[in-house]
Amino acid sequence: MSMVMERSLKYLDERLGTSSLARKTLRKVFPDHWSFLLGEIALFCLVVLIFTGTFLTFFYTPSVREVVYEGPYAPLKGAEVSAAYNSVLRLSFEVRAGLLMRQIHHWAALVFSAAIVIHLCRIFFTGAFRRPREVNWLVGVGLLFLTLGEGFTGYSLPDDLLSGIGLRIFYSVTLAIPVVGTWVTYLLFGGEFPAPDIISRLFVFHIMLIPALLLALVGVHLAILVLQKHTQFPGHGKTERNVVGKRLWPEQTFKSVSLLLFTTAVLALLGGIAQINPIWQYGPFVPYSVTSPAQPDWYIGFLDGALRLGPPLDLNLFGFTISEVFWPAILFPGIAFGILTLWPWIERRFTRDRAEHHLLDSPRDTPVRTGIGTAGLMVFFIMFLEGGNDIFGVLLNVPVETVTRILQWSLVIGPVVTFLVTYWVCRSLSRSRLHPAHISAGLRLSRTPDGGYETVSLEPATDDSEREPTPAS
Amino acid sequence: MTDSDRQGSERVDLDRQTEQGPTLTGGQRRAERRTAIALGVAILAGIGLFIVYFAGGQTQIEGILFFIAFGGFGIALGVWANHLLDAREVVEERHELTSGAAGRQALGDALTEEVGPVLGRRSVLIKLLAGAGGALGLALLLPVLSLGPAPGNSLKVTPWARGKRVVDETGELVTVDTVPEDGFLTVFPEGNVGAADAQTLLIHVRPGSLKLPPERMAGVPEGTFVAYSKICTHAGCPVGLYRAESQTLICPCHQSQFDVSDGAIPFFGPAARPLPQLPLGVDQEGVLIAQGDFSAPVGPAFWDMNRGR
Amino acid sequence: MRRTATLLGGIAVLALLLTPTTGTASSRRGAALAAQQQPADSPALEARGRELYQNACASCHGPDPAGASYYATVPSLNDVGGAAAVDWALRTGRMPWKDNKGPAIERGEPRFSEEDIRALTGYIGKAVGDAQIPDVDPARGDLQRGRELYGQACAACHGMNGAGAALGGENIAVSLQDVHPQDVAEAIKIGPGQMPVGGGLTDYEFGTAASQQEVDDIAAYVESLRSQPYNEGGAPIGGKGPVPEGFVAWVIGLGLLVVAARWIAGRG
Repeated sequence: MSMVMERSLKYLDERLGTSSLARKTLRKVFPDHWSFLLGEIALFCLVVLIFTGTFLTFFYTPSVREVVYEGPYAPLKGAEVSAAYNSVLRLSFEVRAGLLMRQIHHWAALVFSAAIVIHLCRIFFTGAFRRPREVNWLVGVGLLFLTLGEGFTGYSLPDDLLSGIGLRIFYSVTLAIPVVGTWVTYLLFGGEFPAPDIISRLFVFHIMLIPALLLALVGVHLAILVLQKHTQFPGHGKTERNVVGKRLWPEQTFKSVSLLLFTTAVLALLGGIAQINPIWQYGPFVPYSVTSPAQPDWYIGFLDGALRLGPPLDLNLFGFTISEVFWPAILFPGIAFGILTLWPWIERRFTRDRAEHHLLDSPRDTPVRTGIGTAGLMVFFIMFLEGGNDIFGVLLNVPVETVTRILQWSLVIGPVVTFLVTYWVCRSLSRSRLHPAHISAGLRLSRTPDGGYETVSLEPATDDSEREPTPAS
Repeated sequence: MTDSDRQGSERVDLDRQTEQGPTLTGGQRRAERRTAIALGVAILAGIGLFIVYFAGGQTQIEGILFFIAFGGFGIALGVWANHLLDAREVVEERHELTSGAAGRQALGDALTEEVGPVLGRRSVLIKLLAGAGGALGLALLLPVLSLGPAPGNSLKVTPWARGKRVVDETGELVTVDTVPEDGFLTVFPEGNVGAADAQTLLIHVRPGSLKLPPERMAGVPEGTFVAYSKICTHAGCPVGLYRAESQTLICPCHQSQFDVSDGAIPFFGPAARPLPQLPLGVDQEGVLIAQGDFSAPVGPAFWDMNRGR
Repeated sequence: MRRTATLLGGIAVLALLLTPTTGTASSRRGAALAAQQQPADSPALEARGRELYQNACASCHGPDPAGASYYATVPSLNDVGGAAAVDWALRTGRMPWKDNKGPAIERGEPRFSEEDIRALTGYIGKAVGDAQIPDVDPARGDLQRGRELYGQACAACHGMNGAGAALGGENIAVSLQDVHPQDVAEAIKIGPGQMPVGGGLTDYEFGTAASQQEVDDIAAYVESLRSQPYNEGGAPIGGKGPVPEGFVAWVIGLGLLVVAARWIAGRG
């Protein structure tokens, strides 16, 4: 150890007692599987979001006060726009690397939410949410909801026409809450639409309240993971009582840092070469103007699609009104996300499995869970497609109404068909000899007495028993 | 580095010497070379970024250079992790998370040990404690009510009223000659240009094409100038798309479609209620005026929408 | 594995960079328009126009342009907007009808020469009594005012950035990101398909100075969508907003990162 290193370690150890904690932590074992890195992709997207977001905060003005635009985007020269919109235009056109930072930030938000979803799928399909990890499942689902809110508040900040339309829809959805809807909306927005206070309030949510909760929950998420140790796929030498993998230092650190660098690289590439949210082209928000096509960012797209699917059914209850918006925008997400949140307990009710699990399931071995999962994903996917029904209509040369009808029927039949197909695929894969947890450990070639050859496949040991030869396939 | 290695000189890595011997395997040498190249490329890209930034900056080039720089660095560390480390697969035992019944009992004892006699009994003090907590908790929520005004009647009324003159977005008065046949225009009450809840579509339909009942036709000057609220009754977007040929409106947000000839009733899509009609008249100067507020509350539905106005 | 990943990544990046904006190239069509202000009034040209009409148009539009057409779904040329409508339909390749399936009439390259188009517009315009072809010059227009007018009258259907949108049923508001100013002026005058006459502009009256200025202003803005679209952020991915952006985020963004994760995890 070099002199400098020795002295630094001594300094910290004498004051903070770091050496023993550090030694224990660095020696922790984490299993190696690429799908365990999906959560890290999300984490690193968050890191990029925080760095780029901080930069953006230095330039953004959370105010709807009218100013005159005098920047280089010629069509808006001399136009009256809000200070918020003006500040984002200035950042995009007049601040060096400003547009790059802004675009990286927005792409990072899209990839962040995508990574969370795919990470959630990995947890779900491998049964990693089972005891003792139910609490961490709740934390993760909470992170998902916070992310949706963070994204929505974020892209509404520039006060452009497209996001302003989205805010109007959000206003209408909160209005549709039974009994307290009008009060909740007026308190949240500060009055009748377009409530000018909302921009500065969204700013507070976006840079302070939600990030604080996000970071706190991420901390809890990682702490629980370290405390309970990571799960692992079954295989040779792996049991419910151990963790087989590589140490945090050096291998996992190198790998994680590499993934961090790759994440930053991909986000920087997208931020540089792929234009996203060109708010100057949409123009400033005007409450009586609209542009087509009008969609929200992808992670809210399923809600937009749900709204488009209908049904056009409002209810009159003793003189009180339940808006048609209630079913797709309040009831459906409530039920869907409720099921998602409570899934560990719902599943346990049917499987009666109260054991602790540190070995993961192969999705094909749990066909019902896998089938329900894919059916659920299909529901969200259908809604996402409907959210873009006008764009797909033009793309496929089909009327918008046809797209909607097809997707309405798909919503009824699709999840059932998806479940059945998935179930059947899982069962047949399970029965085949191509099982990942039971791939033969090798083949042994031996000579038969009458001069021929015979291959014998060696069964892998799933515990520490002897390897046994079985007849080859 | 490679030359001196092949010549077997004394320049060996001290750390490696204790573990495996003085030389790297062929594979490791290749990995080392790849790592070096990747890092070299990253350095070049980094220098490139300096040049581009001080030359004025260019978003696409900056993005690509960052990609190369970070990507090169990432490749280097990835190769290093997979080929140049001595890391072995390790087995770590899991320990029980629970401290067992004894441990939980100890915690329970720690919590209750010195708490005293009051907590054990159903005393007035406990009830008062709960009451104070509740009252204070609710009181702490009071500032939330300051966040916005009471909804009151505001969602059910707009600035439109009997006699208000119709103006366009620029404030110009709208007469029966303003809008050509098959044309449409966004209008407001005079003095409230731009008021979001007052936004109205004035449509000049073809004569004889309206199928409204007589009391509604009374609000359609010359039988051809009909006005509907521009706020979609589904989720509040401005219904700006007018299809002149079929005299129908389509809302871009969720594709609700309204039949202008038939009282703006929705015939496709998720909207459940027609766009409220604004009854119009004409004053002495030929300027269009409103004859009252809209026929129903504008915009999307809410709980007490139909309870008094 | 890694080679495949690099190849895929490279293809993805290339595809992104080469994504064209929607709309068909029309600059060639417009170039020769300088001469096309008023159809020339020569008997030879009119005769040529009549001959072309009988060969190419009469089978649907009827023997007389001013009379009824043969089919209920085909409008009579008497009430489509006169010579301006003919000029517009022929130069944008919409007519003769290509029998395409699906919503909206497709645009394309014109299938008549400049001479023939002048002949047809002259003949039909005279027959229906409306021979005026609009005049337009974006250079005379005010870009900022054009943007405001466009926002009021056109953006709801055509999109603030001209990307175009579906209008339900058989209707599409076309992309305006690559159209000639003449198309804009003519469309405003005739109100083709579901588009209202006057394009949604207040007080539009063909021939008045005020309306001419408004058309020039809007043409200036539409022209800027083609000549100076301000795609400073990179490839516009069609300009259709968050839906294609979402696909790119999943397929390219997350896709590349999953490939990276698999490579990093190695033989783990």
